[in-house]
Amino acid sequence: MTPAIETSGLVKTFGPVRALDGLDLSVGSGEIHGFLGPNGAGKSTTIRILLGLMRATAGRATLLGGDPWSDATALHRRLAYVPGDVELWPNLTGGEAIDLLGRLRGGIDAGRRDELIAAFQLNPTKKGRTYSKGNRQKVALVAAFASDVELLILDEPTSGLDPLMEAVFQEIVAGLKDAGRTVLLSSHILAQVEKLADRVSIIRQGRIVQAGTLAELRHLTRTIVEAETAAPVTGLPALPGVHDATASGARVRFSVDAEHLDAAVKHLGAFGIRALTSHPPTLEELMLRHYGNERHYGNEGHYGDGAAA
Amino acid sequence: MSATMTRGGALTGTGILLGLALRRDRIKLPAWTLIIALFVPYFATVAARTNPTPEALRRTMDMMDVPMLRLFTGPSYGTGDLTVQRYLIAVYFVEFLLGAALMNILLIARHTRAEEQSGRAELIRAAVVGRHAPLTAALLLSVITTAVLAGLMTVTAIGAGLPAGSALLFAVATAATGLVFAGVTAVSVQLTEHARAAAGIAGGVLGVVWVIRGAGAVQDTEGGGLTWLSPLGWSQLTRVLADERWWPLGLSAALTAVLVTAAYALAARRDLGAGVVATRSGPASAPGWLRSPAALSLRLQRSSILWWSGSLVAGGLVFGALAGSMRDGLATDFLDAGPDVLSGYLSLMVVGMSFIVGIFAILAVTRLRTEEVRGRIAPLLTTPTSRWAWLGSSLLVTAAAAVTLLALSGLALGAGAALSLGDGGYVGELTGAVLARAPEILLLLAITLALYGFAPRAVAVAWAVLAYGGFVRFWATDLPAALKALSLFDHIPRMPIEGFTPTPLVTLTVLAAGVTLLGLYGFRRRDLDG
Ligand SMILES: Nc1ncnc2c1ncn2[C@@H]1O[C@H](COP(=O)(O)OP(=O)(O)O)[C@@H](O)[C@H]1O
Ligand SMILES: [Mg+2]
Repeated sequence: MTPAIETSGLVKTFGPVRALDGLDLSVGSGEIHGFLGPNGAGKSTTIRILLGLMRATAGRATLLGGDPWSDATALHRRLAYVPGDVELWPNLTGGEAIDLLGRLRGGIDAGRRDELIAAFQLNPTKKGRTYSKGNRQKVALVAAFASDVELLILDEPTSGLDPLMEAVFQEIVAGLKDAGRTVLLSSHILAQVEKLADRVSIIRQGRIVQAGTLAELRHLTRTIVEAETAAPVTGLPALPGVHDATASGARVRFSVDAEHLDAAVKHLGAFGIRALTSHPPTLEELMLRHYGNERHYGNEGHYGDGAAA
Repeated sequence: MSATMTRGGALTGTGILLGLALRRDRIKLPAWTLIIALFVPYFATVAARTNPTPEALRRTMDMMDVPMLRLFTGPSYGTGDLTVQRYLIAVYFVEFLLGAALMNILLIARHTRAEEQSGRAELIRAAVVGRHAPLTAALLLSVITTAVLAGLMTVTAIGAGLPAGSALLFAVATAATGLVFAGVTAVSVQLTEHARAAAGIAGGVLGVVWVIRGAGAVQDTEGGGLTWLSPLGWSQLTRVLADERWWPLGLSAALTAVLVTAAYALAARRDLGAGVVATRSGPASAPGWLRSPAALSLRLQRSSILWWSGSLVAGGLVFGALAGSMRDGLATDFLDAGPDVLSGYLSLMVVGMSFIVGIFAILAVTRLRTEEVRGRIAPLLTTPTSRWAWLGSSLLVTAAAAVTLLALSGLALGAGAALSLGDGGYVGELTGAVLARAPEILLLLAITLALYGFAPRAVAVAWAVLAYGGFVRFWATDLPAALKALSLFDHIPRMPIEGFTPTPLVTLTVLAAGVTLLGLYGFRRRDLDG
């Protein structure tokens, strides 16, 4: 399957600031791709290059098989974009802005538009300058979702939405996935991406430090195990891959690297397991490990790319 | 400061906020006050230069003493024994009143409603800051600024030859009007949720009292009954340089007090961020024609174009109507008219109209820049709308609007002249004369666009192009030809005093087209900001 988005060695500098520093991003057709990274990592810059709003300093980017800069107009027929900070025309109403953007994109499905407005509980009769950040975002989301396009590029689209609206958003994006659309969803809110994304790329300081399916990423990292045993457990900290082991009486808690999970659980078995819980790391833990311990994982940063190909 | 903090009253934190406001406006307010004050010697010099002899001054004054012009300048006093200083007060006082009022309108709107609208006031009010501290700080800032203005104006007026006492009265009377409008704006910002609307309401009030004062001056040279109904009138009714009196300023002070009290009362009754008047809602869907970048551009510029049209038509009618009084003879250096005073006057008005439309053109492109940095064109350019299409259609709409404005102002100028001179031929002649200046405006527009395309941060340089043109045309008429040729506005013949020649029109139009293409090319290859 040809990827919907492919960049290699993308570099963008703003004077002395190196916003993108050799970014390799690959988004397959029909997938929901989480684009995760802290503030200032380069997510918006990447997206603006993909949209032809900026030109890369170096490197190559392909979007829907075309060049984002020179084929911008043709490509934009096939995509919709929601910026993180939506600005509307102060004296146009939200409804007017939705219609205008939809028409410029080649037409808008009026029925779907009204459904979406209802779903997001948006008042389309208010002037742009009177909307809150969340409501401006809803306007842009309705305009994007109401147009019939293959690719949606959403840059932190729900940072202003309340949890209820966030749920509406997730439902709609899940529907897009069923319809075979591709979605690039940038975020620093991990829980959001976790629920929706097929694959995830993590960006830090202008580079992708890890990419793959959630399962693959989790596989890379540690599982947290808690157990209650018949006899007190001994010798746990000495096992390879076991970290942060703590014991109180018959209870132990530790984290273990994925490849050593089997050995660790077998070790526990010798002490008579009464209760055992384990949970995979959340994306927070995953990112924290990356940002907290770069040297350790830096070399394996592109593990997921190979596995997913 | 800690004493006020612990008291925890409605005014807590006023001092800190005032300090912040002074710091934020450390350039703006000195600039406003200084520029207004410097207009005193400037107008005095212009008056003296254009009327080199007492006889010339007398003639000009008599010419101005017609109801139509008193609407703009009056009431006036002591002009029987005319001096340049009395002429200055009689003709230009209103401009200083308008300046002081505008300064205060913008100042209060900026420091109260604009802060609430941006959400910054929320941050501030959540700190240890009393309910009334922001409004109080803004009002104090306006008092300080207006006092500085009065001080500077006293000095410059003494410099322009006014006795110290009269200079002080002139300055304080100007300040009094300024403070009345600080009060008006303090009320209007309570009414609407938007700073611009609040400033617009205050500006509307200013316009109304300006007309009332003028209507009083039309009734009577020294101000009829209507003048007493206008705060601008009160300042002029102090009769500076005639039998001077301070007490009309008591009316200004009383009105200011009433307005400020009302503002505090309204502020206490509303929520932060809310207005007393609720915002109206608009249509839930866009009209059918709003479907292209050109339509959007027209929609965004619509009210601005209407406003410009109205002002230019009004101005054109008035300036055209003045042609009648010009015919009776006014030979001055300023008009550079040679023997034919009337044609000279009309040519000057034609050129003036073109300059004003030039302001419109530059502002329109500046607006595009604002759209860009505010992030409002990225959503458009990520639809199939290309950069060519977006900038090209915005440009076309602006160019068409500029040409329309030229045509309208020419028509109005011609209609005014035709009425006052009793010769219908002026309508066609002056419309043609103003329209013939379109190529210079198009070239100015193209240059502004090229700046926007290549060096968007430097769009303001276009003002220098316009200002240089004005400088060459109005003040430096004896400059070397090469320097004159650099001005965009010295190529097209000044009709009706000069005859029509097509060559410069064609040259400027071709240049404009070339520079426009260059600008579009520049915009296509640069990164978008915002
Ligand atoms: N127009 C610009 N000029 C200068 N620096 C910029 C510009 N845009 C982004 N940057 C810088 O590039 C880096 C990446 O920014 P951005 O892509 O907005 O990050 P993110 O969207 O991940 O929060 C930041 O350090 C930011 O300050
Ligand atoms: Mg961003």
